[in-house]
Amino acid sequence: MKPVTRLRCAVATILLTGVLFPPKTLAQLPARFYWKSLSDSNGVPVIFQSISGNTNPFDPAHIVTPDANFDATLALAGYARTFSLHKRAVMVAIIEPMGHVSSEVTVAGRTAKQSASGFGDPMVEFDINVIGPRAQKTIPDALRYEPKFSVDLLGDLGIPIGKYDSSQPLNLGQNRWYGRVGAPIVWQLGPWVPGRRTTLEFLPAVWLFGTNSNFVGQTLTTDPMFQLDGHLTRDFAESFWASFDTAWYTGGQASINGVHGKSLNNFGLGFTAGYKINDNLNVTVGYKSTINDSAPDALRLNQFMFSVVYGWHKIIEGSKRLKHD
Amino acid sequence: MRTMIRRSTRAISSEPDNLIRLLKTLGIIGMGAALAAPAIAGTSNGDAPRRPNIVIILGDDLGFADMGSYGSEIKTPNLDSLAMNGVRFTNFYTHASSSPTRAMLLTGVDTHVNGLGNMDEWTAPNQRGLPGYEGYLNNRVVTVPQLLKDAGYHTYMVGKWHMGKAPTQIPAARGFERDFSLLDGAGSYWDMTNFTAASPKSVFTEDGRYLTRLPKNYYATEVYTDKLIGYIEANRGDSKPFFAYVAHQAPHDPYHLPKQWRTRHVGEYDKGWDAVRQARLKKQVELGIMPANTQLAERMWFVPDPVLLAPATRAVLGKKMELYAGMVENLDYHTGRLIEYLKKIGEYDNTIFIVSGDNGAEGNDLFAMIAGTPGSRDFLFAASKWSNNHPNAWGEPGSCVAYGPMWAQVSMTPFSQYKGWLAEGGIRNALIVSGPVVKRPKGSLNNGLMHVADLMPTLLDVAGASYPKTRDGQELPALIGKSWVSLLAGKEDSPRTEHDSLAWELFGNRAVRQGEWKLRWEYKPFGNADWELFNVVADPAERKNLAVEHPEKVQELLATWDSYVRANNVVLPSRSVFEALEKNLPQRVPDDPGYPPLNYKRQFVPPKDMIAAPKN
Repeated sequence: MKPVTRLRCAVATILLTGVLFPPKTLAQLPARFYWKSLSDSNGVPVIFQSISGNTNPFDPAHIVTPDANFDATLALAGYARTFSLHKRAVMVAIIEPMGHVSSEVTVAGRTAKQSASGFGDPMVEFDINVIGPRAQKTIPDALRYEPKFSVDLLGDLGIPIGKYDSSQPLNLGQNRWYGRVGAPIVWQLGPWVPGRRTTLEFLPAVWLFGTNSNFVGQTLTTDPMFQLDGHLTRDFAESFWASFDTAWYTGGQASINGVHGKSLNNFGLGFTAGYKINDNLNVTVGYKSTINDSAPDALRLNQFMFSVVYGWHKIIEGSKRLKHD
Repeated sequence: MRTMIRRSTRAISSEPDNLIRLLKTLGIIGMGAALAAPAIAGTSNGDAPRRPNIVIILGDDLGFADMGSYGSEIKTPNLDSLAMNGVRFTNFYTHASSSPTRAMLLTGVDTHVNGLGNMDEWTAPNQRGLPGYEGYLNNRVVTVPQLLKDAGYHTYMVGKWHMGKAPTQIPAARGFERDFSLLDGAGSYWDMTNFTAASPKSVFTEDGRYLTRLPKNYYATEVYTDKLIGYIEANRGDSKPFFAYVAHQAPHDPYHLPKQWRTRHVGEYDKGWDAVRQARLKKQVELGIMPANTQLAERMWFVPDPVLLAPATRAVLGKKMELYAGMVENLDYHTGRLIEYLKKIGEYDNTIFIVSGDNGAEGNDLFAMIAGTPGSRDFLFAASKWSNNHPNAWGEPGSCVAYGPMWAQVSMTPFSQYKGWLAEGGIRNALIVSGPVVKRPKGSLNNGLMHVADLMPTLLDVAGASYPKTRDGQELPALIGKSWVSLLAGKEDSPRTEHDSLAWELFGNRAVRQGEWKLRWEYKPFGNADWELFNVVADPAERKNLAVEHPEKVQELLATWDSYVRANNVVLPSRSVFEALEKNLPQRVPDDPGYPPLNYKRQFVPPKDMIAAPKN
């Protein structure tokens, strides 16, 4: 293969592994995100991520480019609110990604670079608990909350209004509708006592993608992709917890003008540590990496994450104001 | 009496050793022995019924109103079944705290004589070294199990002892043939953890040996029951009756209980203590436990009206009562296991059950007394051993929760005050007696004036034994109790006449009851540090002090009190657990429902036809 042809192939790889996908797929929410709180609570999550590897971190297909390096620095900021619907706990949230992603592929001594920055597609999320304790409509309900075995129904919808440049494959916006349906599961193991809480959590979900009819002038389609996140979480003190995280993605075969890429079947491991700074503020730090990535053509992906969630409820805030008077 | 002795001697006639021992005992117990001697000769009659077994179920801090048969919403079907098979008493008195009651129960002698003139934990400087104030059962008294053992009974104890830890003071040394005992007054239900840095481990004995560890998977109420069943099973082939003193630790705090028992009443007590007290009184009136016109005692002035509390506060405080209810239900469950076992082996119908609490329900905060001062030694100990106190952990090892004065008042519905005090809420208890000696209608009630010290003469009568004048060459103090045997047989309505009196002293508080009247002196602010007079028949809640209206009755009862003091060597303590209470509690004010109106007046709603929007 001629070097130019190889470079074109590399670029095509970038096309295929480029921003075919919403960043939220990889911007995996930390463990314990689907624990329930008092109805009418508010939360502002901000998630910072630094991702690198030999595949586009924004690409659900994770097609390996042996000589490629991808780097992304992004933040996801959002707003979430809880309420009750027919006695079930509900959360609605909107998350806006933003940041910078760049790629560099060296083929036959020649390097191709691309980058994108700005705002991505906002995503709206609706989550309702279907199995588990009833909504925490009062503070006594919140005091008595124990997830035991809880199952939610989750729906995400990415709205294609993020920054998109049809002249290059690497974008933050996707230029197509996409979304996810899932069933977050929280399984309480043992007592629900701060300092000793243990949970096993799963998020099985299916991502569904619309068609991007102007993907560098071509048509991009992606098959549905199955996602299974797993977390084993454990308190180590009343305010400190950690989790062992796993992620598995399969499916999500992308096609450009009918030319199929490779389906995903990737597995990653990681950990997260969380700390409750005060009644309003929680932080987490996490790292996740692919495994079995020593072979040259093996998937390699490393992700560092730092999240801050600020939450509040008007009664709690009012009580604190009175307490401080 | 003769019949009973005949029964007892028949039961042991096949055992020469026991017979010899019995004869020896009979030889020193005077008239009882004289009566027994001819009976022994007649014991060859194989048709004579065997003497009844005796089981005392003592709930530690169990309140007057905590069983279903006394008006509670707490589910106690097994204890209630005993009530429905026997008699419930409404005027049964114990002492105001644990060890004085237990000491009187087991000796029939006033607590100022038997060694528990004060609780060991609170012996005052001026009481130290005085006879009657040893802090343990002294060797000048004899116990029920000692006498019943002599009379041919097996004697078993499981549970809390609280009357001495030295080898000469433990259950095995005081008449119990088999025992599994917690020698302390309280502690963990799960392990050997106790409350203070100076005494960090609970002390247990089993059959007279001090235990180095507890059985695997230990939970107090369950193991006590298992042990007792094991003791009965081990000896049931020998045809001897048994006396079992089942001195449960439950439901004394800390409220430790298995997980499945913690969540049986979730949210049920969020309505608050006033509503539960009212519901219990209503039920008590329906059951005939209390007369129709009974008033509730005033809510303690420092206990808030639950209506004015936030739901979250009510939920957390209510959860304490949920735990307590679980404790009582767990106690009932294990009592049910014992009942079932006795039915299975055919002994139930020949067993007398006596069920009671040992004092009023606990409204004092013992844990705060011990560990409430940050920086103190015991605070650090509690931080290490007793700080598993998130509400979700209540019930687990290392948690320490008690329900406080508000729920203690519920447990003592309709009475005033609680454990440690000499208002009715500190000393009046539920009492159930069932079994073959009860000839009264099943499920009936009785209002006779009863006292815990009555158990000694009653049980001796049941066993066909009698109280000796001397033991080991030493003169024994006189019994203060009265036998219930005639009452239980339906031959009288009370073991006491209108002229008989009862008297109490503990921590410097004092009281006398005679007939309808009760004279009471208590430290401020629970009392007024002066004598108060109540008609506890018309006013069981002790709401109206009649001392001014009836000075002659005050004088009369004061004379009775003085006699009691002289007869029993009562030494008022120079220090008291309650001595500084007045300074630590809010100023006492009357409890007037609905006051101040500021907190109770609801939103004004104008007439609909006069409502208008602003004109501009």
